[in-house]
Amino acid sequence: MHACNLDVEISKLSKIEGHADLDIKIRDGKLEEVNLKVMENVRFFNQAARGMNYNSVPQLVSRICGTCSIAHLTGCIEAVEKTLGIRPSEQTMTLRKLVMYSLMIRDHALHLYFFVLPDFFGVDSILDFPENQHEIIHDALAVKEAGNNLAVLMAGRAVHAPFEQVGGFSREVDAKKIPAVIEELKKVRPLVLKLIENFSGCPWEFKRKTNFVALATPDFSFLEGKIKSSGGMEIEEKDYWQHLHRIVFPYSQASGFEFGGKEYMVGALARLSLNKDNLHSNTKKDAVKYLSRFPSENIYDNNLAQAIEILHSIDHSVEILENNTFKKEEPAKPERLSGENAGAIEAPRGTLYYALKIEEGKVKDLKLAIPTAQNLVNIRKDVEQIVSGLCAAGIAKDELEKNIVREVSKLIRAYDPCMSCASHFLRVRWV
Amino acid sequence: MQTKSKKRVGIFSLTCDEGCSIYLTEIFNRKLLEWLEKMELVYFLAMRDHREAENLDVALVEGVVTSEKDLAEIKKIREKAKVLIAMGTCAVTSQPSGQRNNFNAEQMAEIEEHLETYNFLPKALALKDAVRVDDEIMGCPIDENKFIEIFERYLN
Repeated sequence: MHACNLDVEISKLSKIEGHADLDIKIRDGKLEEVNLKVMENVRFFNQAARGMNYNSVPQLVSRICGTCSIAHLTGCIEAVEKTLGIRPSEQTMTLRKLVMYSLMIRDHALHLYFFVLPDFFGVDSILDFPENQHEIIHDALAVKEAGNNLAVLMAGRAVHAPFEQVGGFSREVDAKKIPAVIEELKKVRPLVLKLIENFSGCPWEFKRKTNFVALATPDFSFLEGKIKSSGGMEIEEKDYWQHLHRIVFPYSQASGFEFGGKEYMVGALARLSLNKDNLHSNTKKDAVKYLSRFPSENIYDNNLAQAIEILHSIDHSVEILENNTFKKEEPAKPERLSGENAGAIEAPRGTLYYALKIEEGKVKDLKLAIPTAQNLVNIRKDVEQIVSGLCAAGIAKDELEKNIVREVSKLIRAYDPCMSCASHFLRVRWV
Repeated sequence: MQTKSKKRVGIFSLTCDEGCSIYLTEIFNRKLLEWLEKMELVYFLAMRDHREAENLDVALVEGVVTSEKDLAEIKKIREKAKVLIAMGTCAVTSQPSGQRNNFNAEQMAEIEEHLETYNFLPKALALKDAVRVDDEIMGCPIDENKFIEIFERYLN
């Protein structure tokens, strides 16, 4: 085949969160340019946050993202608390774990069942499964609903949760509702095992050596720990920013990051690769044959990692709910009203870092590093490798275009990117 | 077989956090299978790649109209849809996603360049300030019961 010129343009990638376009330019059979363009219109949260009361800012940033609003809420609350010397009670921390688990269950389930499984089974949408595969739709809705109901119980709602606040929770847990939630979690557990089995048999493979970065928590609860990398780094949460370097893409409403001067990956694959030993004992027992696959360089194992994290979230939630009673507590109070500090949590898509500067109780500045933004450079390099490989395979032009669109969309989807989030890199005016 | 009589529904996101459509997927946990008896989901990028935005019986639209591109899109949706429903507080009132509308001079100065580069409108608009809207569902995210009540009215 003679060397071809080809422009591949994907407008609005589907089955991801938010809007992104992808332009690929091939000249003389060689990849010249890959532009992954985050097309979300910026909503200017850092300007909006400035001057706000420290108590209100978590609910504001919750609106950065619909699907992982609980991650933004929780991450920002942690940064406010660390900045003002607020010490949440042990019960508050336990409840927050449950809130994070509710998020992981429903958010990962949305990605796996709605976004990825259709590709896996060769249909466009979960709605297109033939009658004899309708079980998948039932499973999807049941698993999501279990996460949703856990969110409702703990935080009041799955999206823009009203009960979780700076210093504690505004409502006491409704103890009467706990047994039904436990029962529902147990009921969907076998469905999740089936999901894990499905993804463990996924033949897709794409490997490119990269650096994994994740907050490694001692009980895999996504909240408190040390940030680790596969290169062997171990960093305090508050120091994370010092290792990041922002990369500006002139054609996009988002910017990316490098860690220690190189591209890296955050998310479920990074967490499982760096911290699988701390998963719940029941999860380790039932997922033992799948866990040996991690650390894994195959990006598609991110899907398997997410499915295992759903199982862990169920197992640890059940244990907490069965062994605790929750009492009414007053929210913890600030020690001071001015300060500067930061915190990090693991959002579904990876490490979410919030740093705050507060003066007299008002937010002076806010900056954050969002998981998808941290993955953008890595995604781009993966896309380059895939496209270069396809170009070198010597296939006809129209076939090449089809393959590129299919393979690249599939790869980007495996990262579970969230473009709503990625557009909010928050210009830093830190003084 | 019944496809012909099913309502053609599209779900669209303008500028926002997509919290309403995500919350809608949670409402789907209990209602999707029942609604699929009466509707065909022909446009919803969160759930399918294939895009059919013609002859819509119901268009559910979340978010604000913040840029020229949003404006062109909402006009196109309006043309194709018999019924257009503004979904969530952003679409109904322009807030909170249109928070730049309330910025002071200092805040505006910081974002001016971005507004220009990406062809933003002078103000972020609620849908009804851009096109005719047939119904509205408030909430951030949408109130579940209200959504079910209003949406089912158009499905039946």
